Amino acid sequence: MEIRLNRKEFLDELSPMQGIVERKTTIPVLSHLLLTAREDKLHLAATDLDVSLTSWCDAEVKREGGIAVQAKKLVEIIRSLTGEEVLLTQEESRELTIRAGRSRFKIHGLSPDDFPTLPAVDDGGNVPIPFADFRRMIGKILFAVSAEESRFQLNGALLKLKAGAVEMVATDGHRLALVESRLEGGTGDDAVLVPRKALQELTRLEGEGKLEYRRGEHHLSFRLGRRELICRILEGTFPDYERVIAKDNDKKLLFERKTLSEAVQRVALLTGDRARAVRLQFAPEQMVISAANPDLGEATEEVGCDYDGPEFKVGINPDYLSHFLSAVDTERIRLELKDENTQCVAYPFEGQDIRYLCVIMPMRI
Amino acid sequence: MARIHLLPDYLASQIAAGEVVERPASVVKELVENALDAGGREIEIQLEHGGKSRIQVADDGSGMGRDDALLAFDRHATSKILTFDDLERVATLGFRGEALASIASVARVEMTTAEQPGDGHRVSIEGGRVRGVEPYARPRGTTFDVRSLFFNVPARRKFLKSPQTELRRCLEVVQGYALARPDVRFLVLHEGRNLLDVLPAGATGPRERIGQIFGTELAGRLVAIPEVSEAGRGGERISGFLGDPETARGRRQLVFVNRRLLRDRAVLAAFYRAVREEWRSEDFPALFLFLDIPPEDVDVNVHPQKAEVRFRDPGLIDRVYDAFRRGLERARGEEPAPLRPPVSEPYVPFAWQGLGQMTQPEAWRRGATTDLPVQVTGASTSSWSPPERLAAASYAPVERPMVPLSGRHGEARPFRLLGQYKGTLILLEGPDGLYLIDQHVAHERILYERLRRSLLAETTPVQHLLTPLFLEVAPDEHLRLLELAPALDHCGFGLAPLSGNTLGVTAVPAVLGSAEAEALLRTLAHEDHEGAAAEDLRRRILEALAASLACKAAVKMHHPLAPQEMESLVAELFTAEQPYACPHGRPVVLQMSDADLERRFGRR
Repeated sequence: MEIRLNRKEFLDELSPMQGIVERKTTIPVLSHLLLTAREDKLHLAATDLDVSLTSWCDAEVKREGGIAVQAKKLVEIIRSLTGEEVLLTQEESRELTIRAGRSRFKIHGLSPDDFPTLPAVDDGGNVPIPFADFRRMIGKILFAVSAEESRFQLNGALLKLKAGAVEMVATDGHRLALVESRLEGGTGDDAVLVPRKALQELTRLEGEGKLEYRRGEHHLSFRLGRRELICRILEGTFPDYERVIAKDNDKKLLFERKTLSEAVQRVALLTGDRARAVRLQFAPEQMVISAANPDLGEATEEVGCDYDGPEFKVGINPDYLSHFLSAVDTERIRLELKDENTQCVAYPFEGQDIRYLCVIMPMRI
Repeated sequence: MARIHLLPDYLASQIAAGEVVERPASVVKELVENALDAGGREIEIQLEHGGKSRIQVADDGSGMGRDDALLAFDRHATSKILTFDDLERVATLGFRGEALASIASVARVEMTTAEQPGDGHRVSIEGGRVRGVEPYARPRGTTFDVRSLFFNVPARRKFLKSPQTELRRCLEVVQGYALARPDVRFLVLHEGRNLLDVLPAGATGPRERIGQIFGTELAGRLVAIPEVSEAGRGGERISGFLGDPETARGRRQLVFVNRRLLRDRAVLAAFYRAVREEWRSEDFPALFLFLDIPPEDVDVNVHPQKAEVRFRDPGLIDRVYDAFRRGLERARGEEPAPLRPPVSEPYVPFAWQGLGQMTQPEAWRRGATTDLPVQVTGASTSSWSPPERLAAASYAPVERPMVPLSGRHGEARPFRLLGQYKGTLILLEGPDGLYLIDQHVAHERILYERLRRSLLAETTPVQHLLTPLFLEVAPDEHLRLLELAPALDHCGFGLAPLSGNTLGVTAVPAVLGSAEAEALLRTLAHEDHEGAAAEDLRRRILEALAASLACKAAVKMHHPLAPQEMESLVAELFTAEQPYACPHGRPVVLQMSDADLERRFGRR
């Protein structure tokens, strides 16, 4: 290949590729990016076999060609260079020369044939979703996606398209987060499990406008402008989540989000690192958060709240509460409980979504 | 008066019975074996009170005529061997002719049998004496009805466990035969409740049967062991299934020799060795091994309950090992081959691998050498010199007073720290010799004791689960876990029986991940610990947890320590409750006594 392209534009397309590339892979080519010069574009691709990202940038192509180069070094080099333009030339098949200003790098690469063939999602019907909304929704449920590999069907979130709305649900078996937003022109009834990494990388895609979503047989495609993220569909049965959202919790409390969030984090400092648990004691107009640890000591904090029911207490993992409190975007939040053994449900108070909630199973302390 | 006299016949029978009949499960075992030997295709086992009050085993096999039916209960009456040579090649499950006589001497037995439909007999026996024989119309086959086991041996009766425990053992026995004979239908009823009902498995045979008993999830994770059958070895056949790495969470390893479930240490040792070599792992997957070998090559007559055998051909274990290796290779290699290139470094089973590699020593780099008891001359104080040079460097020992490290009981121990060997061993000069301490194991021991204390003192928080964790188990494991349910609840596990042999886990101790919780429950499900008191169980669970946490947190090998760190480690070790072994049993300290050293240097 022999091409000339804008350095800034090139760097903008390289950056989102970094998250896809596996750092600790046993397959060398997966730490590489595939660069292909064709017609008047330089095409870029990165994959970890489960999630792939492709993009392109404009280039003045004198000679077409392709090579796979080590992603991390390429990004570092392009970022460190000065000048507006970069020249990429390939004299030998496995070597790429990068020139800009007075600098010249010659880096070793791998044959494009070694790079895995990326799955294609056939052009079926596509559903446009405003990207800003979609990214905001992911942020509200990502924390509840399980990191434990033993229940693989929980290593992703359920994406459900409804008439006029889109819903996302994630659970790790201890807690569950659900968000539902309006989607203009949304139709149909489709539910699919999107793996965790794809969700993470989707939030890193920069851009305005609409995300085009397409579903293939085994893969999903999300296209935002010139970037396309393709991921394998997570196979498995997602739990019947509507059943675990308690509807008859009669104890309702209203909190200032910031006050509660800070108090929980402070008291959580004195929970052990093996099993994190704080006690919440509720009384009219007040809640006491406390933690005790035989190795460390004790912590207590009183938090004002809007509540006029009977006194009771419940144990809970403070991290689960904190995750919700950081993700929610309203000034006040509502907790609904019933007793010390059943689901605690947290809601935003007057939020913009159709529905946003987080169900947290309590702990027995 | 003569002090030696002959035992009355019934007493001799009862003593002999003790070898064969220990508990209801042994009766079930003998009767099921008889039923299979008689060619039964459908075997129904009915139990009451865990088999203590009643065991009924019915088959549709060949049945017996009147004379055989009577003789069957005499000691050493058997249809299975005629001569000593026959004993050399026992192909049937039972053969000694002891079983029925033994059972009949300690229970009330009624047998109905018919060779031809309608033309049968009923024989009743009590305490070894025939009470009556009469014609009896029944379909072809035999039914044994054993009631009031040990009614005449109160001492034995007293040693029986709770009905649940005895029932679980009976189920274990039946499951074993059900796995060995997928072509036969087995049905187990306890007081009318259906505990196990497996229909003859179809074309997929053994795998289908495993699925019927242990659940389809496990059956789906099995890989066939490449079958080895050699005509040259008289029809020896090695076959079976191995689980993928996911099944390493507390699953069982079962070995069948000529369709008999055995606990064979040599075969299991070969399996563990194969897993270590092939997977480089200590996580052993599920195993179902079927060894079919010529009867004359195996001695089954070494154990009264036939639970152990002896192989005549020592090469057999090697062939089994090879089959394991090939099976394990398949079980792991699920991904397409190029995705997982083979690891090239040689496997060293013992922990001393790569003793030569060292990481940069913090203290030395910090230039703290002035306080060191041992100075490395030639090594710059500001930069780290590679191990090769360290090895060549000459030591200039700095005289340092004996450190009076005080022990747990307050006595001062005059030990002097000499230094560290390859970032791995701490060397101490003691009053009577040289001491080598494995720093990782020592630290592990200290951490373990500390963690164990705090875990046992704490109330362990319990995390309720939003959606239950489903645990598919075998019928006996199901019983065992329900038996343990109250004790498990005390430890933080919430269990609820769901459909069939699936259990729902509704709560787990918050210190465990769901995978760890599942592994622990599976292990407990097939362990046979008597008297599972809640507190004991909790202690065991927490100790296992402490041991695993301690191992992860302990200072690793090849990690240089500053002298102060070593001194405090040694001081803490001396105050440990059990300073000489790590929680997994590895030694912490090695001593080379002065006498030993002198002998080796030829001074003695």
